[in-house]
Parts: sequence; structure tokens; C-alpha cells
Amino acid sequence: MKDNKVDEIVKELKELEPLIMQCSKCGTCQSVCPIYDKDLIETSVARGKLALIEAIYEGRIEEAQRIFKHLDYCVMCTRCKQYCPSGVSTDEIFLRAKSILRKIKELPNWQKAVLKIIMQKPTLVAKTAPLMHIGLKFGSKQVKEDVFKPLFKEFSQRNIVSIKSRPFTSKYGGLNKAKEEKMRVIFYPGCAITYIYTNWGEAIVEVLNYYGVSVYVPKTNKCCGIPAATMGDLDLYKQMVNKNLDWFDSIEDASYIITACPTCQYGLNDMGQKITKRKAKVPMMDIVVFLKEVLSINIEPQEEEKSTLHIPCHYEREKDNMLKEFMSKNIAKDFSSLENQSCCGFGGTFNIKYYKDSGEIPKSKTQEIKEKGFKKLFTPCPGCAMQLSDVLIKENLDTKVMHPIEVIYEGIKKPG
Amino acid sequence: MQKVLIEEFERIVGKQNCFSEIEDTMAYSYDAFPEEPKAPDIVVKPNDYEQIGQIIKLCNENSIPLIVRGSGTNLSGGTLPVSGGCVMLMTGFNKILDINTDDLYAIVQAGVVTQKLADAVAKKGLLYPPDPASLKVSTLGGNVAENSGGLRALKYGVTSHYLMGVKFFDNEGNLIKGGGKPVKLVTGYNLPGLMLSSEGTLGVMVEFILKLVPPPQSRKTLLVVYDDLIKASQTVSDIISSKIVPATLEILDNFTIQTVEKYHHLGLPTSAQAILLIEVDGHEAAVEDEYKKVADICKSLGGQIYIAKDDLERDSLWQARRDALSSLARLNPTLILEDATVPRSKVPAMMQAISEIAKKYNLLIGTFGHAGDGNLHPTILTDKRNKEEMKRVEKAIDEIFEITLKLEGTLSGEHGIGIAKAKYLESEVGQSTIAFMKKLKFGLDPGNILNPHKMSL
Repeated sequence: MKDNKVDEIVKELKELEPLIMQCSKCGTCQSVCPIYDKDLIETSVARGKLALIEAIYEGRIEEAQRIFKHLDYCVMCTRCKQYCPSGVSTDEIFLRAKSILRKIKELPNWQKAVLKIIMQKPTLVAKTAPLMHIGLKFGSKQVKEDVFKPLFKEFSQRNIVSIKSRPFTSKYGGLNKAKEEKMRVIFYPGCAITYIYTNWGEAIVEVLNYYGVSVYVPKTNKCCGIPAATMGDLDLYKQMVNKNLDWFDSIEDASYIITACPTCQYGLNDMGQKITKRKAKVPMMDIVVFLKEVLSINIEPQEEEKSTLHIPCHYEREKDNMLKEFMSKNIAKDFSSLENQSCCGFGGTFNIKYYKDSGEIPKSKTQEIKEKGFKKLFTPCPGCAMQLSDVLIKENLDTKVMHPIEVIYEGIKKPG
Repeated sequence: MQKVLIEEFERIVGKQNCFSEIEDTMAYSYDAFPEEPKAPDIVVKPNDYEQIGQIIKLCNENSIPLIVRGSGTNLSGGTLPVSGGCVMLMTGFNKILDINTDDLYAIVQAGVVTQKLADAVAKKGLLYPPDPASLKVSTLGGNVAENSGGLRALKYGVTSHYLMGVKFFDNEGNLIKGGGKPVKLVTGYNLPGLMLSSEGTLGVMVEFILKLVPPPQSRKTLLVVYDDLIKASQTVSDIISSKIVPATLEILDNFTIQTVEKYHHLGLPTSAQAILLIEVDGHEAAVEDEYKKVADICKSLGGQIYIAKDDLERDSLWQARRDALSSLARLNPTLILEDATVPRSKVPAMMQAISEIAKKYNLLIGTFGHAGDGNLHPTILTDKRNKEEMKRVEKAIDEIFEITLKLEGTLSGEHGIGIAKAKYLESEVGQSTIAFMKKLKFGLDPGNILNPHKMSL
């Protein structure tokens, strides 16, 4: 099937050559890739995927669409990039290659429809949240507080954290003014906090207000666009990043943009910059980094139970130690970080498309949690939290998954 | 490959462990040596020894080349399926079967990653010394097949010093045992020795017994800065001739220092013409004594000495060394890493020769390496798309090997011959040695099934 369309695709893939050639095929990515760790085959890992793209534009594989499945089979944890000795931009290469290949390998219709609605009709999603909430309640059985097991077949293996009847943004949308205001910030909640972890959103706004920070929250959350990018629709991704940046930049008196989903921040800031060549006017940072490094809060740890920490893949690597220190000094009395800091295996759309593989990835992590008897697992990412809640229940563990902000919020709510 | 044959492979390992589509086999068309990719016809991932035996038999009976592969970090093209055939993955054989702290050995499968063994052994208070730069990824099977070295080789030796026993399949799929657990063992041919640096041409290795040692009690790490490359090299041969054996003795030239600093900001002295990284280890008193002697030699040749204050500083120094190759790799698209090795007294002459060759052919060559072993890594930075430059690269490599042999050195200290250095092999070992190797190889593998074309066999 050599036609013009294929020639065009080969030409476009060839444009990635300068990025791909930086790979010296040393194979270091094998030591950090969560999928390779499980499969132990080369098509799972970055080196293999890069070699396949190269094989297309060098003419060793003729049918370009054949390699799509291997590019798609990736958590996008970006560990290969973070640890690559040669600094290869694997994430950018894979996203761009997938979007090029999408021209001959179209997205399945249901995925197209879902993307269109989530990305482009956020108000509709917000309006249907109560329905989804009711639907999930009736079409499922509760397995523990706030977690349900859907009854319909395709999803019946999963333990899903519930969709709330009222989106976070409908309660907190607009400016939430602090009593003694010393600064204004924007809080970008992302989809997961808007619809699912609404309590994290509440805690973040209330805690920031408590420390004299007024918080702008969007009236309707617009998706960061990452799901579009991972499904191969870079144009839609670009649109979403631009829409969000337009809104951020329209607020004149905010000093920071606060996030609580490292993947949203990665999508709007790191990868966003690469794809749109545009950056928000004010710095973007995670809520914990903001509390620690900008507000310099220093509180006594409140959490009594044996606690641990999972650091999200998209968290800024240079903040890992800060986060661990914050956990032990300011959050939990009995704290030790997980030895296994590999990927949780969620990967958003990866979890939807490859549910079984996604669940196998964190097995050694849940094993460690079981052996060491942790009662609280903290993680500053809603995606990781959803995944880890699901896999912990499957292991029959009652470990609770939380964001550190929940402990801080409890602390300030206490009288005195 | 014929459909019936593919079905035979599928019958042995199961459909899910058998890959014959082009988008799967193409991911096994390379290793870490830059060469024209060549895909195998089929890739199989067996799960037990019985399956391995059956695959070998099937390949032998049907004249299918069999290339055994671990993590594919080979730097001489040793795992390239030059004429297609079957790539057999050993990655699933990744179990550490025993760590015996009474008799100081470990029993491991061939697919165990070197670092994982080192970590497991360290937890039991012992040391597995061979530490090739790729240890986070490389498998022990590959380490034995290439007789890998590493940074600690100067004092602790290379993989061959730790291989006590081996289990492997011959070309007909029979399981063979060689060596064993006793420290002394002279029953029959030294089969572990035969397997070392055989590059997968004589048998399919599945299990090893590896010697472990107690870790040193104390150590001292030095960074020595020179304004003259030759004086730094002279220091290396002077230290060795004064009968001191540091654990590690590494050199980085100016170009490498600058490049590491450019990417990693470790605070290296970028104006230095060379630095030496030296570590002495052992009993505390001995370490102090050796350190003083080493320091005197360094000073007498104009070296400025900095001592690592703590483990953190030590780690950052070793990080600089470990980052050398990858930092150089960032400069240009194609990197050719050589590992010519000379007797230690010839290190100054070799360093001189490499810098002259770089000038003569107008090439970017960064040199670093295990100077204490005489094992240097001249690293050529180029672009495989630049045909004219690649011709100069080829000439420079020819000349590097020529001078290496003239200095009574060897083509490869630790990366192996593979296909990369096959054409130079005869010039080092001579015709009769090649003839003997051929008799050995074709006596054991008359059909030339096991990793053909490597070492020009």
C-alpha cells in the first residue's frame, strides 16, 4: 500500500531524525522502563520504539501503520527521557510520531467521540457529572468508602473512585478571597480534581486562603489536553494548551499558577512549551512545592499512622528530596518513603486501553506496602491515587491513598 | 522463514513468546554498536531450559543461525543477526538462585542484570566486583560471553576471575556442565574458561557459579589535576611500576572533561589537560600507606591533588567518570567507542598517538578510560550520514589499531571482537591462531549455527 499518503508520512517521520539520532542505542532505558521491566522485550522500551520509527524512514519497514501499536503501548511516564544519558526527547518523539501515524491509522470512533466531548464540551461534562455520579452509584457496588466496582462487564474488574455529584469548579469557580490577602494565585484543578478528588480541590483552596493566598479557580475546567496527545491528536492538544494559557494570561494579578496533578503540569508546561512554543506569563508549580518553597510553611506533622510516599513520574525530579523531607517533617510522624519509586502504571489513556498491563506494573510496589504494613500511602497526583487505590484493593489491603494537603486541611480545621 | 518452521518455534515457546512480524523482529536488528541494522527472521523468548534445548535442536537441524541475546548492550556488534536467523532472548532467565555466604559464591541465571546481582550480594555483606559501565542494564550472560571488565578491574580483575562454573547447551541441545563450587578444580578441560569471551559462538550459556569476595573495609578517592596529558599518563605507569595496585585508576582528557562539565556541571577543572581519578582500598592502615605513595608520585609529576571528603564527594567524582561516554554522545549523532588496550608502561605513548591521529584526520576524539589497565576508550564523534568524514574515521581506526599492536597491545580490552573488529583480528593473533579457532569452532559447531560471522568465524 505505497501511495501518496504513506510517502507523506515517511517524509514527516524523517523530520524526527535529528531527535532520534541522538539515541546511541546504549539500552539504559531498559533499566527504568516500567513496561520493559514486566515484558522484557525490546518493542516495549524506548530504544526499540525509536528503532522502529527509524526503520520506517530508512525504508526497512514499508507499512508504517504496523509500528503504531508499539508506539501506543507506552505509559508515557517519561522515565526513559529523565534517565537517558544522551538526553533523547523520547516523549516528544513518540507523541509527534503517533500524531503523524494517526493520518493513516485513524482513531477508533468511540475514542474520537469521547475526546471531542471531554476536550471541547467541558460544560456538558460538568452538567452530566451528577448523572454519572448517580449512574456509578446504582450501576456498581461499593467496595470501600468512596470506591465502587462497576457492574457492567467491561469495567467490572476495576475499583473506581467515585465521580462526585457536584464538580469542584461549580462550588469554587471564580476568585476565592483570603481574609488577609498577601498574594493571588491561579489554581488549575484538571479533570480528576474537578470531578473525582473534589476534596483535594477544596483542601487546596481552603489551605491557601488560610495562609493569606487568594485563589482563582476556573468556572469550568478545560482539560490540559494530554489525553488528546497520547491518543495521537496533537492539534487538539495544542488547542487545549492554548485555551488554558489564554485564560491564565488573562488574569493580571496572579503571581503563580498552582497545580495538583503533575501530568497536567507536564502537559501545560513542559511538553506544552515544546509543542506550542508558548509559556504562561507566571511560573507554574505543584501545590506542595508552593507551600514549601514560596510560602515556607513549617507545620508539625499530624498524621499518626504508619505512612509512606509514592512520587509521581511527572513530578519535577529535582523536587523529589524536598517532597520526602516535607512528608517526614510536616505531614506524618511515622514516615518512610517507598524504596520502589517506579511508575504506578496508570498513564491515563494507557490504563483504559491496556488495563491488565497497567495493573501488573505496580505489583512489586504493592508488595512492599504489604510487607512493611503502611496504613497511609501519600501521593501528590490524582492519577497515581486512582490507580493505587484500585490495585491496593485488589491485594486486599486497607491502605488509604491520600494527598498530603488533606492532612494539612484537617490540621487547620481543628479548633485552636 | 517458512511458515512450518515458524509454527515449530511457536509449538516450543508458545505463540505469545514467538515474534516473526517485521515490526517485532526489527527491534532486534541492532545492539549498542553503530552498524547497518539487520533484522532476524524470528525472535523467541523461552521460559525454561527444556525449551532452550529444543530451539537449539530445531535451529541446528534446519541450519538456522541462532543469536543469543540479553540486554543487547554489546559494543562490537556481537548480537547482530548478520545473516538473519533466530534471536533467542535470555531476559526471562533472571533469577538469582543462591547466594552462599559460607562458601562465597552465587548461582545465577544468564539473564540476571549485573547490578541486580551486585545489589543482592551487597545486602549480604559481600562484593561481586566486575562493574562494566553498562551494569545497570547488561546481563551476566553477556558479561561472561564478552569477559567484561569495568572500573575496578585493575585490582579486582575482570569477569574471568569470578567465573567458577557454567551450565550451557551445545549445538545439539545437550546440557553441559563445567567447573563447580570448589575453589580448586582441575577435572577435565576448563570449560568455564572456554566459554569466556566466546561471544556466543560455542554454546548457549544458561547458568553460572560466580565467586564473591569480602568488600574492602576502607577506601580513599583522589582527583588529580594535570596541565599536561603526557605527565598524567606517566603518573599511571609510575604508580604501577612502584608496585602499588589501586582499585581504580582512570583518566579523562581535556576534551572529555569539558564535555562532561558542559552537560553535568560537577565543578570539574575545565582548563586541566587531564585528570586522574584514583581510588585505593583495603585495610585502613594499608590504604593510608598506599595513598601517601600515590600522592607523592602524582605531585612529583606536577599533579594537584584533591581528596574526596565523604561518600557524597566520592560519588560525584565517579559520576563524572560514568558520565564521560554519554556526555560525549550528546555532541554528535554518531559515536564510535574503541577499547584498544596496551601494556601499562605504554599508556603515555598511546595517549600521544591518539591525539596525533585526531589531528591528522581532523576528527573529534575524546579519550578517557581505565588507564591503570592500559585500557583506553578513544571515542570518535561523528555523523554516519557524512560519508566523507566516515572514510576518515575508518582510516583513523585502522591507525589506532596499528599503533596499538605496535605497542604490543590488543584490539579489545573488554568490548569483544564481534563484527566490529573481525577484520583486524588476524593482524593481532596471526594465521595459525585463526586456524586453531576455526578447528575449535567447527569441531563443536560444524553447521556454524551459533552466532555465525562473529570473530570472522
